[in-house]
Amino acid sequence: MVPLNAYLAVGAIMFSIGMFGVLNKKSGIIVLLSIELMLNAVNINLIAFSRFGFYGNITGQIFTIFTITVAAAETAVGLAILIAIFRNKGTISITDLNIMKR
Amino acid sequence: MMDSIGLLTLITFSPLLGVLLLAFVPSNKAGTIKLIGVLVSFIPLILSFVMFSSFDSTINGMQFVEDFDWIQIPLADNAMIEFKYSLGVDGLSMPLVVLSAIVASMSAIAAVNMIKKRWKEYFILFFLMQVGLYGVFAAQNLFLFFIFFEITLITMFFLVGIWGLDKREDAAFTFLLYNGLGSAILLISFVVLLMSAGYYEGANGTTIFTTDIQTIIFNLNNSASPYELLGVGVSDAIKYGVFFALLVAFGIKVPLFPFHSWILKVHYQAPPPMSMILSGVLLKIGAYGLFRMNYGFFPEITETFSTLLIILGIINLFYGGILAFVQEDMKMVVVYSSISHVGIIILGLGAMNSFGFQGAVFQIVSHGLLASLFFYIVGVMYNRVHTTKFSELGGMAKTMPFTSGILLTGALASLGLPGMSGFISEFLTFLGLFENRPILAAISTLGVVLTTVYLLRSVLNVTYGPTAEKLTHVSDARSVEMIPMVVLVGFVILVGVYPAILSEPIQATLQLFLTRIGG
Amino acid sequence: MLENAWLVPLFPLISFVLLVAFGRQLKEGAAYVGIVSLLSSFIVALGILFERLGHDAENYIQNFNWLTIGDKTLTVGFEITPLNALMLFVVTLVSLMVHIYSKGYMHGDERFPVFYTYLSLFTFSMLSLVISPNLLQAFIFWELVGAASFLLIGFYYFKPSARSAAKKAFIVTRIGDLGLLIGISLLFWQVGTFEYAGVFEAVEQGLVEPGFITLTAILIFIGAIGKSGQFPLHTWLPDAMEGPTPVSALIHAATMVAAGVYLVARTFPLFEASETAMYVVATVGGFTAIFAASIGLVQNDIKRVLAYSTVSQLGYMMLALGSAGFIAGVFHLFTHAFFKALLFLTAGSVIHAVHTQNIKEMGGLGKEMKITRAVFLIGALAISGFPGLAGFFSKDLILMSVYESGHVTLFWMALIAAVMTAFYMFRLYFLVFSGKPRHNANVHESPKNMTIPMIILSLLAIFAGYIEFFGFGEWITNNGVIAEEVEGPKWIMYLSIIAAFGGIALAWLMYGRDNKVKTGEPRGLHKLLFNKYYIDELYSTVVVRPYTIFGYVLKFFDKYVIGGLVQLSVWFSKAIGKIGSRLQNGQVQAYGLITIIGLVLLLVSLTAGRLLG
Repeated sequence: MVPLNAYLAVGAIMFSIGMFGVLNKKSGIIVLLSIELMLNAVNINLIAFSRFGFYGNITGQIFTIFTITVAAAETAVGLAILIAIFRNKGTISITDLNIMKR
Repeated sequence: MMDSIGLLTLITFSPLLGVLLLAFVPSNKAGTIKLIGVLVSFIPLILSFVMFSSFDSTINGMQFVEDFDWIQIPLADNAMIEFKYSLGVDGLSMPLVVLSAIVASMSAIAAVNMIKKRWKEYFILFFLMQVGLYGVFAAQNLFLFFIFFEITLITMFFLVGIWGLDKREDAAFTFLLYNGLGSAILLISFVVLLMSAGYYEGANGTTIFTTDIQTIIFNLNNSASPYELLGVGVSDAIKYGVFFALLVAFGIKVPLFPFHSWILKVHYQAPPPMSMILSGVLLKIGAYGLFRMNYGFFPEITETFSTLLIILGIINLFYGGILAFVQEDMKMVVVYSSISHVGIIILGLGAMNSFGFQGAVFQIVSHGLLASLFFYIVGVMYNRVHTTKFSELGGMAKTMPFTSGILLTGALASLGLPGMSGFISEFLTFLGLFENRPILAAISTLGVVLTTVYLLRSVLNVTYGPTAEKLTHVSDARSVEMIPMVVLVGFVILVGVYPAILSEPIQATLQLFLTRIGG
Repeated sequence: MLENAWLVPLFPLISFVLLVAFGRQLKEGAAYVGIVSLLSSFIVALGILFERLGHDAENYIQNFNWLTIGDKTLTVGFEITPLNALMLFVVTLVSLMVHIYSKGYMHGDERFPVFYTYLSLFTFSMLSLVISPNLLQAFIFWELVGAASFLLIGFYYFKPSARSAAKKAFIVTRIGDLGLLIGISLLFWQVGTFEYAGVFEAVEQGLVEPGFITLTAILIFIGAIGKSGQFPLHTWLPDAMEGPTPVSALIHAATMVAAGVYLVARTFPLFEASETAMYVVATVGGFTAIFAASIGLVQNDIKRVLAYSTVSQLGYMMLALGSAGFIAGVFHLFTHAFFKALLFLTAGSVIHAVHTQNIKEMGGLGKEMKITRAVFLIGALAISGFPGLAGFFSKDLILMSVYESGHVTLFWMALIAAVMTAFYMFRLYFLVFSGKPRHNANVHESPKNMTIPMIILSLLAIFAGYIEFFGFGEWITNNGVIAEEVEGPKWIMYLSIIAAFGGIALAWLMYGRDNKVKTGEPRGLHKLLFNKYYIDELYSTVVVRPYTIFGYVLKFFDKYVIGGLVQLSVWFSKAIGKIGSRLQNGQVQAYGLITIIGLVLLLVSLTAGRLLG
């Protein structure tokens, strides 16, 4: 049987990769992809705990489905925003989007 | 009165009626807006007179008490934080509520002529500020006190920042910076008090943390308090720390030297009706807080530092007095005279006997009336000639005899002429000081001469002498403009001739403060 | 009648209130309001005086609670003693005369009603001061008369000189009042009351230390110095002549300036208990008497001469009181009120006619102004101590008291001052009324409502002195309760007559015989006197200028040091802000990184204990 720690390790690695992507990648699309990665890392954790947790029950799995739904919606909105930005500014490079400075 | 809405709530929130009414008036109907502005401001005034007349001066505790549960935050381990909505007045706060109502209604009348734009917003903010004003004196717990305190601060920021003179924004930010700093210190002190001394044992052995003033006073001053057993006792370090923090916080508001520089800018730039409120009532919150909290919470420490207070008072008295003498602008003289006059409040508080305390309260009321009168008259002048510089003024008595007469009367009252309120406050304060500290008292009486010198110099410069060019074609105050002058002078004379009207209601409460000090 | 004494100040108060409310509508009718109220007061005061004259009459006192502070109750009330019954009579009478006189003198002034308003305020305050049974009430009205005096001095508000004179009067007397305030406050905590009776009782029973008595007595005397224009606070009184002349007669000659003397007389038992205090009073009085008289010798402004004469005569009264001559001091206060008011009113009559106050521009007025000339002569003779007139008796009594008290130097000073008094009065008389006119005004005698008060006062100036023979001394001291009568050798009387005649003769030799006016700059001693010993200049350099300079230094301090500190803290916050704002580069990813670093740090710090331990 695969131990809980293995699941958690995969989750942690995926999360870290995703976080690295969010913080470092220049392209907006890649950033969105990285966010997906982080969300999925969380999903793995949720499922693992639902199976192996102290009080293992179905809630974790149900929550995962929620998360996937929300993530899909979020990606859709995120992409829509990126398209809007691209139409306005001609770029989706994160470094050029610094209007918060002002 | 425990379960129904009481007089104090009505006084505090009746200005909101004005906000409601104004909401239905289009903003270009200036006449209607002003009418509502003035009329609604008189509701708290009338109610406060009702309160004054039914006030029982034999009781030294709180009256007109209202106490409702408001916010309760459960904590772990059988404890909770409780903020109540509790109002009440005693002999110390009752006169201040009445004073606020008088000054606020006069300020509303003053605004009719002196505010020249965006009346609707002005009066809405003005009404909100009034809520803060009455609330701050009636609040019976620190949380409520702080909320009302902040209401006055924020509304005043906008009132100065929008309707002031040409450097109004700068002044408004200065105001916010200083007072915001004061508020921050105040908040920290309140939190420390809440954590260290604000608890009592509720039903079922729950520990209830509260900011109720009476509870805090009880816990701080009864070492045998059963709640000491709860293990949160108050160390001396905390006591001294909070004492000085409060002194600084209220010292900024009063303002004590060297925290005074904000009022120079703010008063100069603020529209006259707001200067009236500022110097008449808002600065008094500082003195009130000093009395209510420093003296209420830490009577022994206050006693130890009474000499410090007296010296601070003397510094204010002399510093303001000397600087007022060299100003070249009438408005600045009035501002510095405010600094000088609050020195007397502090002196009275430092005297630590019933004469001194009475003198301090009298000075709070007297200066509240006189300072607003001065700012009002300066505003009336400015409205006509658009300057307050001595070099461009003079001989006002010829073209504006009524206004000049009132100005002169105000000056005489302010320098302590008998028959008017200034005398009573100065006399009682100095008499109180003489009991235990004759030397310091003798030094401080010199302040009377300084006051005479600068007031006569400035007032005579404006009213006497050959009539200045700018003043030759102006008309005297119209009847609407006369109302605040007559009313304020009327109260000044009333308090001066029949001081028992004020001294009796405050007597019992001040005696309670004195017994706490143990003298 | 005695229980209704409160009516006396009430009438002027009513008149004051009426005139404040309706003065503008009444115009010159305001005079009638003033005169009627004063007449009522005078009648009541007369009734009180007669009732109190009776042999079995008792002092009357009534008190009401005014203010309760802690366990102390402050009272207000009124009392009638011989001293204040007499003062009520004097004040109401002179005030009535001045009210009537002013109707003519102020005719045509556009602020006519205001003048009467102020006069009523003054009379009310002065009368209330007189009937005060305690020091607090006395202090209250003491300040109020000062304020009324200030208002009246500055009556011609558009004149810069009047403005500064009013200011000076208020400030200088305020300095004196400070002494009084400190004195009564100290006394209050020592004796526990402001009541005269209570204070005297405590002093008599030896409850108060002698040193403390001296201190408080001298502090109270400082108040009297300010109000009565004694050296060194005398400078305001001559300047106060900027006010309308009737005011000078009422306030700055007959009544208010005598309040200082009255106060010392009223608190006489306190002074008597301290030899040092008495000596101070006598010395200040004696010095002022000769000092002011010497300045009066050379002044050219008719009112200023009279003003210095007032200062000098008040010094006389103080000298008498300080030499234990209670009767003499009060007696002189009484007679002086009449002849000095008279002299001022005649001066007003002269000024009214020639529109100048400079005696070098007068001369020969006697021909057209016969009544004025006659009453002025009576006044001048009375003040010079001409035998048979009022001033003779009182001055004589003063000299005797001083001699009896053993202050030999002061006695001779007083005598020289008497010579000077006679001299400057007749210098005035000769320069104003005799000789050839040195003016080109069309001179008329003043109207009846001005001359009649002068005539009444001149009769009093002649006859007021004779009350000495009707048991005045015994009566005023309340049958010897306050002080004892003094008797001196007869030769003093002859000496004082010689002094009077000497002064008059000298004046005649210098001014009456050839009636020449010296021109050219004064020199030497004359210059020193003419410039009033440069006291004003001294105060200006020693007090006023340093204070102003200090003020400007402080202004600089306030602006740059305190303001600088504020700027410094602003700069400091800004500097911190600059550093912080570097991080705000608008890069979302940078923000995210910082957030995550923060989160990690937080987690590590929270769990560090468990990880390590």
